[in-house]
Amino acid sequence: LREDGDLTEAGSCTLETSGALRWKEDLSRKAAEAFLRQQQTTPNLRKLIYGAVAEDDEKEDDAAEELGGLFRVSRPSRECRHKADSVDCSRFPVETPHDWDLEEVMDSIRDCFVTGKWEDDK
Amino acid sequence: MATPAHSLSYAGSNFLRQRLVLSTLSGRPVKIRKIRARDDDPGLRDFEASFIRLLDKVTNGSRIEINQTGTTLYYQPGLLYGGSVEHDCSVLRSIGYYLESLLCLAPFMKHPLRIVLRGVTNDQVDPSVDVLKATALPLLKQFGIDGESFELKVLRRGMPPGGGGEVFFSCPVRKVLKPIQLTDPGKIKRIRGMAYSVRVSPQMANRIVDSARSILNKFIPDIYIYTDHMKGVNSGKSPGFGLSLVAETTNGTFLSAELASNPQGQGTAMLPEDLGRNCAKLLLEEIYRGGCVDSTNQSLALLLMTLGQQDVSKVLLGPLSPYTIEFLRHLKSFFQIMFKIETKPCGEELKGGDKVLMTCVGTGFSNLSKTLK
Repeated sequence: LREDGDLTEAGSCTLETSGALRWKEDLSRKAAEAFLRQQQTTPNLRKLIYGAVAEDDEKEDDAAEELGGLFRVSRPSRECRHKADSVDCSRFPVETPHDWDLEEVMDSIRDCFVTGKWEDDK
Repeated sequence: MATPAHSLSYAGSNFLRQRLVLSTLSGRPVKIRKIRARDDDPGLRDFEASFIRLLDKVTNGSRIEINQTGTTLYYQPGLLYGGSVEHDCSVLRSIGYYLESLLCLAPFMKHPLRIVLRGVTNDQVDPSVDVLKATALPLLKQFGIDGESFELKVLRRGMPPGGGGEVFFSCPVRKVLKPIQLTDPGKIKRIRGMAYSVRVSPQMANRIVDSARSILNKFIPDIYIYTDHMKGVNSGKSPGFGLSLVAETTNGTFLSAELASNPQGQGTAMLPEDLGRNCAKLLLEEIYRGGCVDSTNQSLALLLMTLGQQDVSKVLLGPLSPYTIEFLRHLKSFFQIMFKIETKPCGEELKGGDKVLMTCVGTGFSNLSKTLK
Protein backbone atom coordinates (compact mmCIF):
# COMPACT_ATOMS: atom_id res chain seq x y z
CA LEU A 1 0.00 0.00 0.00
CA ARG A 2 2.63 2.44 1.03
CA GLU A 3 4.61 1.77 -2.10
CA ASP A 4 1.60 2.65 -4.19
CA GLY A 5 1.13 5.92 -2.39
CA ASP A 6 4.72 6.87 -2.94
CA LEU A 7 4.57 6.09 -6.58
CA THR A 8 1.47 8.12 -7.25
CA GLU A 9 2.85 11.04 -5.34
CA ALA A 10 6.04 11.00 -7.31
CA GLY A 11 4.10 10.61 -10.52
CA SER A 12 1.81 13.52 -9.83
CA CYS A 13 4.74 15.67 -8.93
CA THR A 14 6.47 15.16 -12.24
CA LEU A 15 3.22 15.63 -14.09
CA GLU A 16 2.35 18.92 -12.47
CA THR A 17 5.68 20.69 -12.62
CA SER A 18 7.59 18.77 -15.21
CA GLY A 19 9.06 21.92 -16.71
CA ALA A 20 10.01 23.67 -13.49
CA LEU A 21 11.67 20.68 -11.91
CA ARG A 22 13.66 19.59 -14.94
CA TRP A 23 16.87 20.95 -13.41
CA LYS A 24 16.51 18.60 -10.52
CA GLU A 25 16.37 15.54 -12.67
CA ASP A 26 19.92 14.38 -12.90
CA LEU A 27 21.29 16.29 -9.99
CA SER A 28 23.40 13.43 -8.77
CA ARG A 29 24.92 12.94 -12.19
CA LYS A 30 25.70 16.65 -12.45
CA ALA A 31 27.24 16.61 -9.02
CA ALA A 32 29.35 13.63 -9.95
CA GLU A 33 30.48 15.38 -13.11
CA ALA A 34 31.33 18.57 -11.26
CA PHE A 35 33.22 16.58 -8.69
CA LEU A 36 35.22 14.77 -11.33
CA ARG A 37 35.94 18.03 -13.12
CA GLN A 38 37.23 19.49 -9.87
CA GLN A 39 39.31 16.44 -9.19
CA GLN A 40 40.87 16.59 -12.59
CA THR A 41 41.89 20.22 -12.36
CA THR A 42 43.35 19.59 -8.88
CA PRO A 43 41.18 22.36 -7.46
CA ASN A 44 42.83 24.67 -5.08
CA LEU A 45 46.42 23.60 -4.72
CA ARG A 46 47.15 26.72 -2.76
CA LYS A 47 44.59 25.79 -0.15
CA LEU A 48 45.86 22.25 -0.08
CA ILE A 49 49.38 23.43 0.60
CA TYR A 50 49.08 26.53 2.72
CA GLY A 51 45.59 26.13 4.14
CA ALA A 52 46.43 22.89 5.86
CA VAL A 53 49.44 24.49 7.46
CA ALA A 54 47.42 27.00 9.44
CA GLU A 55 45.30 24.14 10.74
CA ASP A 56 48.38 22.22 11.74
CA ASP A 57 49.61 25.03 13.97
CA GLU A 58 46.29 25.28 15.77
CA LYS A 59 46.19 21.58 16.36
CA GLU A 60 49.66 21.72 17.80
CA ASP A 61 48.62 24.35 20.34
CA ASP A 62 45.59 22.37 21.39
CA ALA A 63 47.62 19.26 21.98
CA ALA A 64 50.00 21.15 24.22
CA GLU A 65 47.18 22.22 26.54
CA GLU A 66 47.08 20.37 29.79
CA LEU A 67 43.99 18.99 31.43
CA GLY A 68 43.66 19.92 35.07
CA GLY A 69 47.26 20.99 35.07
CA LEU A 70 48.41 17.43 35.53
CA PHE A 71 47.38 15.12 32.76
CA ARG A 72 47.72 15.65 29.09
CA VAL A 73 45.43 14.24 26.49
CA SER A 74 47.54 12.08 24.27
CA ARG A 75 45.88 11.49 20.97
CA PRO A 76 47.49 10.69 17.66
CA SER A 77 46.04 13.80 16.02
CA ARG A 78 45.18 13.50 12.35
CA GLU A 79 46.93 11.75 9.57
CA CYS A 80 49.98 13.96 9.91
CA ARG A 81 51.06 11.82 12.82
CA HIS A 82 51.68 8.69 10.85
CA LYS A 83 53.86 10.48 8.34
CA ALA A 84 55.74 12.41 11.02
CA ASP A 85 58.21 9.59 11.46
CA SER A 86 58.21 8.14 7.96
CA VAL A 87 61.23 8.05 5.66
CA ASP A 88 62.72 11.43 4.76
CA CYS A 89 63.13 11.03 1.02
CA SER A 90 62.74 13.45 -1.88
CA ARG A 91 61.89 10.78 -4.44
CA PHE A 92 58.35 10.80 -5.75
CA PRO A 93 57.42 7.17 -6.41
CA VAL A 94 54.85 6.44 -9.09
CA GLU A 95 51.67 5.25 -7.39
CA THR A 96 49.63 4.06 -10.34
CA PRO A 97 51.99 3.16 -13.16
CA HIS A 98 50.69 3.38 -16.71
CA ASP A 99 50.87 0.38 -18.97
CA TRP A 100 53.52 1.60 -21.38
CA ASP A 101 52.99 -1.33 -23.73
CA LEU A 102 49.64 0.10 -24.84
CA GLU A 103 49.68 2.23 -27.94
CA GLU A 104 47.36 4.94 -26.57
CA VAL A 105 49.41 5.31 -23.38
CA MET A 106 52.54 5.67 -25.47
CA ASP A 107 50.77 8.28 -27.59
CA SER A 108 49.97 10.38 -24.50
CA ILE A 109 53.57 11.62 -24.35
CA ARG A 110 54.32 11.50 -28.08
CA ASP A 111 54.61 15.29 -28.42
CA CYS A 112 57.11 15.60 -25.57
CA PHE A 113 59.76 14.40 -28.02
CA VAL A 114 61.34 16.20 -30.96
CA THR A 115 59.94 13.40 -33.10
CA GLY A 116 56.39 14.44 -32.14
CA LYS A 117 54.18 17.22 -33.47
CA TRP A 118 55.48 20.78 -33.11
CA GLU A 119 53.45 23.88 -32.40
CA ASP A 120 52.83 26.18 -35.34
CA ASP A 121 55.07 28.96 -34.07
CA LYS A 122 58.19 26.82 -33.92
CA MET B 1 70.90 36.20 21.20
CA ALA B 2 68.06 34.18 19.72
CA THR B 3 65.07 33.99 22.01
CA PRO B 4 62.89 30.89 22.13
CA ALA B 5 60.16 32.87 20.41
CA HIS B 6 62.26 32.91 17.24
CA SER B 7 62.79 29.21 17.11
CA LEU B 8 60.43 26.99 15.16
CA SER B 9 59.16 23.76 16.60
CA TYR B 10 58.33 20.55 14.77
CA ALA B 11 57.55 16.96 15.66
CA GLY B 12 58.78 13.76 14.08
CA SER B 13 61.82 12.60 12.20
CA ASN B 14 60.41 13.16 8.73
CA PHE B 15 61.68 16.17 6.72
CA LEU B 16 64.61 16.53 9.11
CA ARG B 17 66.99 17.60 6.36
CA GLN B 18 64.83 20.36 4.93
CA ARG B 19 64.14 21.73 8.39
CA LEU B 20 67.82 21.90 9.28
CA VAL B 21 68.79 23.30 5.87
CA LEU B 22 66.17 26.05 5.98
CA SER B 23 67.11 26.80 9.57
CA THR B 24 70.74 27.23 8.52
CA LEU B 25 69.87 29.48 5.59
CA SER B 26 67.38 31.62 7.47
CA GLY B 27 69.35 31.72 10.72
CA ARG B 28 66.33 30.69 12.75
CA PRO B 29 66.89 28.04 15.39
CA VAL B 30 64.73 24.96 15.17
CA LYS B 31 63.56 22.44 17.71
CA ILE B 32 62.41 18.99 16.67
CA ARG B 33 60.59 16.89 19.23
CA LYS B 34 59.15 13.41 19.33
CA ILE B 35 61.68 11.90 16.97
CA ARG B 36 60.42 8.32 16.69
CA ALA B 37 59.10 8.73 20.24
CA ARG B 38 56.72 5.78 19.91
CA ASP B 39 59.19 3.56 18.15
CA ASP B 40 60.75 0.49 19.78
CA ASP B 41 64.08 2.02 18.98
CA PRO B 42 63.42 5.71 19.68
CA GLY B 43 65.44 8.72 18.68
CA LEU B 44 67.74 9.74 15.87
CA ARG B 45 69.25 7.06 13.67
CA ASP B 46 72.90 6.79 12.71
CA PHE B 47 72.38 8.33 9.30
CA GLU B 48 70.67 11.36 10.84
CA ALA B 49 73.42 11.76 13.41
CA SER B 50 75.89 11.61 10.54
CA PHE B 51 73.91 14.30 8.72
CA ILE B 52 74.01 16.55 11.77
CA ARG B 53 77.77 16.03 12.06
CA LEU B 54 78.12 17.00 8.41
CA LEU B 55 76.16 20.22 9.04
CA ASP B 56 78.45 20.92 11.96
CA LYS B 57 81.48 20.48 9.68
CA VAL B 58 80.35 22.92 7.01
CA THR B 59 79.16 25.57 9.46
CA ASN B 60 80.95 27.56 12.10
CA GLY B 61 79.44 28.16 15.51
CA SER B 62 76.37 25.91 15.28
CA ARG B 63 74.88 24.79 18.54
CA ILE B 64 73.38 21.33 18.58
CA GLU B 65 71.66 19.84 21.59
CA ILE B 66 70.24 16.35 21.62
CA ASN B 67 68.58 14.81 24.64
CA GLN B 68 69.64 11.50 26.08
CA THR B 69 67.18 9.35 24.19
CA GLY B 70 67.75 11.27 20.97
CA THR B 71 64.08 12.12 20.62
CA THR B 72 64.55 15.89 20.85
CA LEU B 73 66.94 17.95 18.79
CA TYR B 74 67.65 21.65 19.17
CA TYR B 75 69.65 23.28 16.41
CA GLN B 76 70.87 26.84 16.47
CA PRO B 77 72.59 27.46 13.16
CA GLY B 78 75.97 29.08 12.81
CA LEU B 79 77.50 30.63 9.71
CA LEU B 80 78.04 28.60 6.57
CA TYR B 81 81.79 28.27 6.36
CA GLY B 82 82.62 25.72 3.66
CA GLY B 83 86.20 25.03 2.67
CA SER B 84 87.79 21.60 2.28
CA VAL B 85 85.84 18.95 4.15
CA GLU B 86 85.81 15.17 4.32
CA HIS B 87 82.91 13.18 5.65
CA ASP B 88 82.12 9.52 6.17
CA CYS B 89 78.42 9.12 5.50
CA SER B 90 76.38 6.39 7.13
CA VAL B 91 75.83 3.38 4.86
CA LEU B 92 72.17 3.23 5.89
CA ARG B 93 71.39 5.97 3.38
CA SER B 94 73.20 6.83 0.18
CA ILE B 95 75.43 9.83 -0.38
CA GLY B 96 72.54 11.37 -2.32
CA TYR B 97 70.76 11.92 1.00
CA TYR B 98 73.61 14.13 2.17
CA LEU B 99 74.36 15.64 -1.20
CA GLU B 100 70.84 16.93 -1.73
CA SER B 101 71.17 19.18 1.30
CA LEU B 102 74.71 20.22 0.39
CA LEU B 103 73.42 21.33 -3.01
CA CYS B 104 71.04 23.69 -1.19
CA LEU B 105 73.73 25.08 1.09
CA ALA B 106 76.90 25.11 -1.03
CA PRO B 107 76.23 28.33 -3.02
CA PHE B 108 75.93 30.31 0.22
CA MET B 109 79.20 29.36 1.93
CA LYS B 110 81.91 31.77 3.00
CA HIS B 111 84.57 29.74 1.19
CA PRO B 112 83.81 27.54 -1.82
CA LEU B 113 82.94 24.05 -0.65
CA ARG B 114 85.24 21.19 -1.66
CA ILE B 115 84.03 18.01 -0.05
CA VAL B 116 84.82 14.31 -0.23
CA LEU B 117 81.93 12.09 0.83
CA ARG B 118 82.35 8.39 1.49
CA GLY B 119 79.61 5.80 1.67
CA VAL B 120 76.97 4.36 -0.64
CA THR B 121 76.79 6.02 -4.05
CA ASN B 122 73.73 4.20 -5.41
CA ASP B 123 70.83 2.67 -3.54
CA GLN B 124 67.11 2.13 -4.00
CA VAL B 125 65.91 4.89 -1.69
CA ASP B 126 67.63 8.18 -2.44
CA PRO B 127 68.53 9.89 -5.69
CA SER B 128 71.94 8.58 -6.69
CA VAL B 129 75.03 10.67 -7.26
CA ASP B 130 74.77 10.00 -11.01
CA VAL B 131 71.24 11.39 -11.20
CA LEU B 132 72.09 14.44 -9.11
CA LYS B 133 75.08 15.09 -11.32
CA ALA B 134 72.96 14.90 -14.44
CA THR B 135 69.95 16.90 -13.18
CA ALA B 136 70.74 19.09 -10.17
CA LEU B 137 73.98 20.56 -11.53
CA PRO B 138 72.38 21.90 -14.75
CA LEU B 139 69.57 23.28 -12.60
CA LEU B 140 72.01 25.21 -10.39
CA LYS B 141 73.63 26.56 -13.54
CA GLN B 142 70.30 28.16 -14.49
CA PHE B 143 70.57 30.21 -11.31
CA GLY B 144 74.03 31.47 -12.25
CA ILE B 145 76.04 29.02 -10.17
CA ASP B 146 78.71 27.98 -12.60
CA GLY B 147 82.43 27.83 -13.18
CA GLU B 148 85.18 25.31 -13.72
CA SER B 149 85.29 24.51 -10.02
CA PHE B 150 81.68 23.33 -10.17
CA GLU B 151 81.88 19.57 -10.32
CA LEU B 152 80.61 16.32 -8.94
CA LYS B 153 82.69 13.21 -9.51
CA VAL B 154 82.20 9.58 -8.57
CA LEU B 155 85.69 8.45 -7.60
CA ARG B 156 84.63 5.06 -6.29
CA ARG B 157 81.31 3.34 -6.54
CA GLY B 158 79.81 1.72 -3.46
CA MET B 159 76.61 -0.27 -3.24
CA PRO B 160 74.67 -1.14 -0.09
CA PRO B 161 75.02 -2.78 2.37
CA GLY B 162 78.82 -2.43 2.43
CA GLY B 163 79.28 0.95 0.79
CA GLY B 164 82.86 1.93 0.15
CA GLY B 165 82.10 4.56 -2.49
CA GLU B 166 83.69 7.96 -2.72
CA VAL B 167 82.42 11.18 -4.26
CA PHE B 168 84.02 14.56 -4.75
CA PHE B 169 81.84 17.67 -4.89
CA SER B 170 82.98 21.24 -5.28
CA CYS B 171 80.80 24.28 -5.74
CA PRO B 172 81.60 27.98 -6.19
CA VAL B 173 79.91 30.59 -3.98
CA ARG B 174 77.64 33.34 -5.22
CA LYS B 175 76.56 36.57 -3.60
CA VAL B 176 73.21 36.69 -5.35
CA LEU B 177 71.26 34.26 -7.51
CA LYS B 178 69.67 34.98 -10.86
CA PRO B 179 65.90 34.78 -11.09
CA ILE B 180 64.64 32.11 -13.50
CA GLN B 181 61.82 31.91 -16.01
CA LEU B 182 61.41 28.25 -16.84
CA THR B 183 57.96 27.97 -18.34
CA ASP B 184 58.57 25.94 -21.46
CA PRO B 185 60.37 22.63 -21.09
CA GLY B 186 60.84 22.24 -24.84
CA LYS B 187 61.01 18.84 -26.47
CA ILE B 188 63.15 15.89 -25.59
CA LYS B 189 66.01 15.69 -28.03
CA ARG B 190 68.07 12.88 -26.52
CA ILE B 191 68.23 10.32 -23.79
CA ARG B 192 71.46 9.53 -22.01
CA GLY B 193 72.07 6.98 -19.35
CA MET B 194 74.59 5.18 -17.24
CA ALA B 195 74.44 1.46 -16.57
CA TYR B 196 76.83 0.54 -13.82
CA SER B 197 77.95 -2.74 -12.35
CA VAL B 198 80.34 -3.46 -9.52
CA ARG B 199 81.62 -6.82 -8.33
CA VAL B 200 79.40 -8.65 -10.81
CA SER B 201 80.00 -9.61 -14.43
CA PRO B 202 80.54 -6.54 -16.65
CA GLN B 203 78.08 -8.19 -19.01
CA MET B 204 75.25 -7.15 -16.62
CA ALA B 205 75.56 -3.53 -17.73
CA ASN B 206 75.28 -4.52 -21.39
CA ARG B 207 72.15 -6.57 -20.72
CA ILE B 208 70.59 -3.57 -18.94
CA VAL B 209 71.41 -1.29 -21.87
CA ASP B 210 69.81 -3.58 -24.44
CA SER B 211 66.54 -3.97 -22.55
CA ALA B 212 66.21 -0.25 -21.75
CA ARG B 213 66.86 0.66 -25.39
CA SER B 214 64.20 -1.75 -26.59
CA ILE B 215 61.55 0.38 -24.89
CA LEU B 216 62.94 3.88 -25.42
CA ASN B 217 63.72 3.37 -29.10
CA LYS B 218 60.00 3.50 -29.85
CA PHE B 219 60.06 7.20 -28.97
CA ILE B 220 63.37 8.65 -30.05
CA PRO B 221 66.43 7.34 -31.88
CA ASP B 222 69.06 9.44 -30.08
CA ILE B 223 69.80 7.23 -27.09
CA TYR B 224 73.19 6.51 -25.64
CA ILE B 225 73.65 4.57 -22.43
CA TYR B 226 77.19 4.45 -21.10
CA THR B 227 78.38 1.38 -19.28
CA ASP B 228 80.50 1.87 -16.22
CA HIS B 229 82.24 -1.08 -14.65
CA MET B 230 84.52 -0.13 -11.82
CA LYS B 231 87.12 -2.61 -10.64
CA GLY B 232 89.26 -3.37 -7.65
CA VAL B 233 89.24 -0.84 -4.85
CA ASN B 234 87.01 1.48 -6.91
CA SER B 235 84.15 -1.00 -6.83
CA GLY B 236 83.32 -0.68 -3.15
CA LYS B 237 82.51 -3.48 -0.79
CA SER B 238 79.26 -4.97 -2.11
CA PRO B 239 78.13 -6.29 -5.48
CA GLY B 240 75.33 -4.67 -7.42
CA PHE B 241 74.23 -3.05 -10.65
CA GLY B 242 71.78 -0.44 -11.78
CA LEU B 243 70.75 2.12 -14.35
CA SER B 244 70.09 5.84 -14.39
CA LEU B 245 68.43 7.50 -17.35
CA VAL B 246 68.18 11.20 -18.20
CA ALA B 247 66.08 12.82 -20.93
CA GLU B 248 67.38 16.17 -22.14
CA THR B 249 65.13 18.68 -23.86
CA THR B 250 65.82 21.42 -26.37
CA ASN B 251 65.43 24.04 -23.61
CA GLY B 252 67.85 22.43 -21.19
CA THR B 253 65.46 20.53 -18.95
CA PHE B 254 66.66 17.22 -17.53
CA LEU B 255 64.19 14.53 -16.46
CA SER B 256 65.56 11.48 -14.76
CA ALA B 257 64.73 7.99 -13.57
CA GLU B 258 66.79 5.29 -11.94
CA LEU B 259 66.74 1.82 -10.49
CA ALA B 260 69.27 -0.21 -8.56
CA SER B 261 69.49 -3.91 -7.87
CA ASN B 262 68.47 -5.30 -4.49
CA PRO B 263 71.28 -5.08 -1.93
CA GLN B 264 73.20 -8.27 -1.37
CA GLY B 265 71.31 -10.56 0.97
CA GLN B 266 68.03 -8.61 0.76
CA GLY B 267 65.11 -9.50 -1.46
CA THR B 268 65.25 -11.70 -4.50
CA ALA B 269 67.82 -11.51 -7.23
CA MET B 270 66.82 -9.12 -9.99
CA LEU B 271 67.33 -9.79 -13.67
CA PRO B 272 69.22 -7.00 -15.43
CA GLU B 273 66.71 -7.21 -18.31
CA ASP B 274 63.80 -6.51 -15.96
CA LEU B 275 65.69 -3.68 -14.29
CA GLY B 276 66.44 -2.06 -17.64
CA ARG B 277 62.85 -2.30 -18.85
CA ASN B 278 61.36 -1.06 -15.56
CA CYS B 279 63.76 1.85 -15.42
CA ALA B 280 62.87 2.86 -18.99
CA LYS B 281 59.19 2.81 -18.00
CA LEU B 282 59.95 4.95 -14.97
CA LEU B 283 61.56 7.48 -17.29
CA LEU B 284 58.41 7.49 -19.41
CA GLU B 285 56.38 8.13 -16.22
CA GLU B 286 58.66 11.03 -15.40
CA ILE B 287 58.20 12.39 -18.92
CA TYR B 288 54.44 12.02 -18.46
CA ARG B 289 54.65 14.11 -15.29
CA GLY B 290 56.86 16.55 -17.15
CA GLY B 291 57.67 20.13 -16.22
CA CYS B 292 60.95 22.02 -16.40
CA VAL B 293 62.43 20.36 -13.33
CA ASP B 294 62.25 16.66 -12.55
CA SER B 295 60.38 15.44 -9.51
CA THR B 296 63.41 14.91 -7.25
CA ASN B 297 64.73 18.44 -7.76
CA GLN B 298 61.46 20.36 -7.37
CA SER B 299 62.32 21.52 -3.87
CA LEU B 300 65.83 22.61 -4.85
CA ALA B 301 64.43 24.79 -7.63
CA LEU B 302 61.80 26.32 -5.33
CA LEU B 303 64.42 27.04 -2.66
CA LEU B 304 66.73 28.84 -5.07
CA MET B 305 63.79 30.82 -6.44
CA THR B 306 62.95 31.91 -2.89
CA LEU B 307 66.53 32.93 -2.23
CA GLY B 308 66.83 34.86 -5.49
CA GLN B 309 66.92 38.61 -5.99
CA GLN B 310 63.76 40.58 -5.45
CA ASP B 311 62.45 39.69 -8.83
CA VAL B 312 59.81 37.37 -10.20
CA SER B 313 60.80 33.76 -10.81
CA LYS B 314 58.62 31.24 -12.58
CA VAL B 315 58.92 27.54 -13.02
CA LEU B 316 56.64 24.95 -14.58
CA LEU B 317 56.53 21.70 -12.64
CA GLY B 318 54.82 18.37 -12.93
CA PRO B 319 52.58 17.23 -10.06
CA LEU B 320 54.06 18.30 -6.74
CA SER B 321 55.59 15.51 -4.69
CA PRO B 322 54.65 15.14 -0.99
CA TYR B 323 58.21 16.17 -0.13
CA THR B 324 57.83 19.36 -2.17
CA ILE B 325 54.46 20.19 -0.61
CA GLU B 326 55.96 19.97 2.85
CA PHE B 327 58.91 22.01 1.62
CA LEU B 328 56.56 24.79 0.47
CA ARG B 329 55.03 24.88 3.94
CA HIS B 330 58.46 25.11 5.47
CA LEU B 331 59.47 27.89 3.07
CA LYS B 332 56.46 29.81 4.31
CA SER B 333 57.35 29.42 7.96
CA PHE B 334 61.08 30.12 7.56
CA PHE B 335 61.05 32.80 4.85
CA GLN B 336 57.41 34.00 4.80
CA ILE B 337 57.31 33.26 1.10
CA MET B 338 54.12 31.97 -0.47
CA PHE B 339 54.09 30.82 -4.04
CA LYS B 340 51.43 31.57 -6.57
CA ILE B 341 50.26 28.18 -7.77
CA GLU B 342 48.40 27.79 -11.04
CA THR B 343 47.30 24.52 -12.54
CA LYS B 344 47.94 24.22 -16.26
CA PRO B 345 45.76 21.56 -17.81
CA CYS B 346 47.35 19.96 -20.78
CA GLY B 347 44.35 20.10 -23.10
CA GLU B 348 44.55 18.58 -26.54
CA GLU B 349 48.30 18.27 -26.75
CA LEU B 350 49.86 14.88 -26.24
CA LYS B 351 52.25 15.99 -23.54
CA GLY B 352 51.39 13.90 -20.54
CA GLY B 353 49.61 15.02 -17.39
CA ASP B 354 48.67 18.39 -15.94
CA LYS B 355 51.39 20.80 -14.94
CA VAL B 356 51.69 23.37 -12.19
CA LEU B 357 53.11 26.85 -12.69
CA MET B 358 54.87 28.17 -9.59
CA THR B 359 55.58 31.88 -9.28
CA CYS B 360 57.26 33.81 -6.50
CA VAL B 361 59.21 36.95 -5.76
CA GLY B 362 62.63 36.27 -4.28
CA THR B 363 63.44 37.41 -0.76
CA GLY B 364 66.51 39.28 -1.96
CA PHE B 365 68.69 36.94 0.05
CA SER B 366 72.36 37.72 -0.35
CA ASN B 367 75.29 35.73 0.87
CA LEU B 368 76.78 38.01 3.50
CA SER B 369 79.44 35.56 4.57
CA LYS B 370 81.05 35.48 1.13
CA THR B 371 84.43 37.23 1.29
CA LEU B 372 84.97 40.07 -1.11
CA LYS B 373 88.05 39.87 -3.29
